Amino acid sequence: MSITRRHLLVGSAGVAAGASVSVPLLLPKYHFDRRPKRSRVAILNVDQYSPKLEGILEAALQLFKINVVGKSVVLKPNLVDYFPGDAINTHRMLVFAAVECFRGLGAQSVLVAEGPGHQRDTQLVLFQSGYQECLQRKQIRFVDLNRDELVRTRLRASYSGMKHLWLPRTILESDLVVSMPKIKSHHWSGVTLSMKNMFGVVPGMRYGWPKNILHWVGIQESILDICATVPLHFVIADGVVAMEGNGPLNGTARKMGKLVLSNDPVSADATCARLMGLEPNRVPHIREASRFLGNSSTALIDQAGEAPTPPRTPFQVVPDWQYLHHSL
Amino acid sequence: MPVLMRQELSAFVSWSPLILLTRSEFAITSGCVIPHEVLRARIINELTQRQLSSGGWGTNALSKQVALEPSCLAALAVTPWSDAAYGAHEFLLCSQNPNGSWPAFVGDDRDGSWLTSLASIALRDCVPNIPVRLRGLHWLLNSAGKESNWLWKWKFRTTDRHVRFDPDKYGWPWFPDTISWVVPTSFAILALNQIPCTCGDFGHAANRVNLGIEMLIDRGCPGGGWNAGNGVVYGAPLAPHVDDTAVALLALSERKEHLVAQSGVLWLERTVQGLRSPWSLAWAVLALAAHGRPIESRLTCLMSLPDLSAIEDTSTLAAVSLALGCHDTLSAFGEAT
Repeated sequence: MSITRRHLLVGSAGVAAGASVSVPLLLPKYHFDRRPKRSRVAILNVDQYSPKLEGILEAALQLFKINVVGKSVVLKPNLVDYFPGDAINTHRMLVFAAVECFRGLGAQSVLVAEGPGHQRDTQLVLFQSGYQECLQRKQIRFVDLNRDELVRTRLRASYSGMKHLWLPRTILESDLVVSMPKIKSHHWSGVTLSMKNMFGVVPGMRYGWPKNILHWVGIQESILDICATVPLHFVIADGVVAMEGNGPLNGTARKMGKLVLSNDPVSADATCARLMGLEPNRVPHIREASRFLGNSSTALIDQAGEAPTPPRTPFQVVPDWQYLHHSL
Repeated sequence: MPVLMRQELSAFVSWSPLILLTRSEFAITSGCVIPHEVLRARIINELTQRQLSSGGWGTNALSKQVALEPSCLAALAVTPWSDAAYGAHEFLLCSQNPNGSWPAFVGDDRDGSWLTSLASIALRDCVPNIPVRLRGLHWLLNSAGKESNWLWKWKFRTTDRHVRFDPDKYGWPWFPDTISWVVPTSFAILALNQIPCTCGDFGHAANRVNLGIEMLIDRGCPGGGWNAGNGVVYGAPLAPHVDDTAVALLALSERKEHLVAQSGVLWLERTVQGLRSPWSLAWAVLALAAHGRPIESRLTCLMSLPDLSAIEDTSTLAAVSLALGCHDTLSAFGEAT
C-alpha cells in the first residue's frame, strides 16, 4: 500500500489534533514540588474536651519546634453550621487552647478566621457554637472570610481549570496559617480533613453559599488548586469526637479520642484517614497531593505520640466511597 | 453604646407622644430605653459615617474595598433623597458592568453576580436611573441556573441524583455557570416583580418569575423553611436557615396561601424565639411582616440586642435598619403592606 501526500496530510492533522487533546492531560498539573524530605506527625490520645487541652497542646507543639515569635498566626477551624449535640464543627475549646499556646509561643497576633460554606449568618454560627462568648472573653479577633477584602490570586496548580480565585487578604498576608479541621467523612469528597478545610477560605461574597463553582469544576481538583495556592503551614485536627457516615452535616458523632498535629497537611490527612480505617491513597486529593504538596507514605513520616493504628471498625462512609475501606 | 442623648429624646418627644408607643418601639441599652426611631436614626447615622468617598460601603467599618451587598442594603436603609442616598445611587450607576450586571465588589471580574437584583431594587424610584435599571433587569432575565440547560437537566435526572430537586424548576445562581439557589432566586423575583411593563424583551418576565417561585417551592426543607437550596441530600433532610427562609418568604409574599409558604412561616415563627443574631432576626422581622404576622415581640427582641449601632458588619447594620423601618423596606421590595 502506497502512502499518498493526501494520506500523509490527513494523518499529520490527526496526530496534531490528538496531541492537542491529550498533551494537556499528560502534562503535570502542578508547577512545583513542595514536599519536604521528611514530615512529622503527632497523634495524641485525648478523651474529652476540657481545660487540660491547653497543656496537652503546649507539650505537643514542643515536638515541632515552630518559631512564631513576632509572627501573625491565623487559626482556621471548620465552622459549618450548628445543630445541638452534633459533631460538625471544630470544638471551640481546642481552638481557644491553640490561641493561648501560640500567644504563649510569642506570636505577634493570633486570630481565628472562617468562611462557613452553607450558613450566611456567620455570627449566628459563632453564637450558637459558643465561639462568640469565648472570642469576647479572651479578646480574640475573628475574621469572616466570606466577607474579607479580596485579592485576585493566580492558582499555583491547574487541576480545576480555574486560572485564578479571589482570596481573602487575611489569609494571604498571614505568616502562619493553621488548618484546624474536624475529622469527618464527607459525602462529596470522601473525607474532610486539613486540605478540604481550606474550602473555607474561598469567599462566599464572591462565590456564593455554598461555594458552588468548586463543585462544578471538581471538588478534588479544587482542593488541590487551593492547597497549592494558599499557604498552609500547620495542622491541628480535632478527632476527639469525629463524624462518620453522611458528613459533613448529617453524619453521626463518633468518639475517636485523638488529636493529630503535623507540619505537613498531606501527612496529617493521610494519618487521619488511617485512623479512620480508610486507605489514604484511595482518596483522590490525598493521593495526588502526595506527588507535590507533602508526604502520605508512612516511610516519610516521623511519627510522634501514638501509632496510626486503624480502628477495629472503620468509619462509615456513604456508598459512593465504600472503596476507601482497606478490605475492599 | 452611648446612652440616650437628652436632645434626641426631646426631639423625639416633640413629635411622637410617648404614651402611644408600644414596647417594640423602644430599645433597651445599658439600662436606658431608646425609642425605636431614635435607634434607627443612630444606625443610619453610623451607616452614613461609614460611607466611602465613592458612595459605596465596605463589608465592615474598616474595609476600604467597596462591596455591593452592603452598598445596596445601605442604599436602601439610608434616608431617601439624602446626600448619602444620592452618593449611593451615583456609586451604583458607575459600578454597573458593561453587560448590564453588577459585580460582587469593585474590582471584581465583570461577568456579573446575584447582586444585580439588589442593585436594581436599590435604584428604584428615581427616573434618571431607569435605563440603567432596565439593563440590569434585562441581564437578569437572561441569567439562569445551569440546570436550565437540557444537558445538565438530563444529568440531574439520570446520573446525579444525590440532591433531591426538580431541575425543570430553575431560578437564578449566585454567579454565572452554577445552579440556582434560594437567596439569589428570591432577590431576582423581587427585582423582576418591579418591571414596569411586559413589553418587548420583558414579555417573558412573568414566566421566569413563576418558574422561580416554583423552584423555591420545590427546594423547601421537608419540615418547613429553606436553607441555601439543598432540602434533602443523600436521602437525609438538611436543616433550614432563618435568613434563607426569610428571604424566600419575602419572594413568596404573593403566595401566602401556599402550604410550603405557610409551613415556612410557622417554622420561622418557632425558630426566631430567643434568636440573638441581628442579621437573621432582621430578615425574619421583614418576612413575618410581609406575611401579615405580628412582629412586635420580634422587634423588641431585635432592639434589645446590645450595641446595635456598633455592629461591625455593614450589611447586618443596614439589615437592622431595614427591619426597624419595616414598612418602608417592604415597599421598596415591592411588597403590599
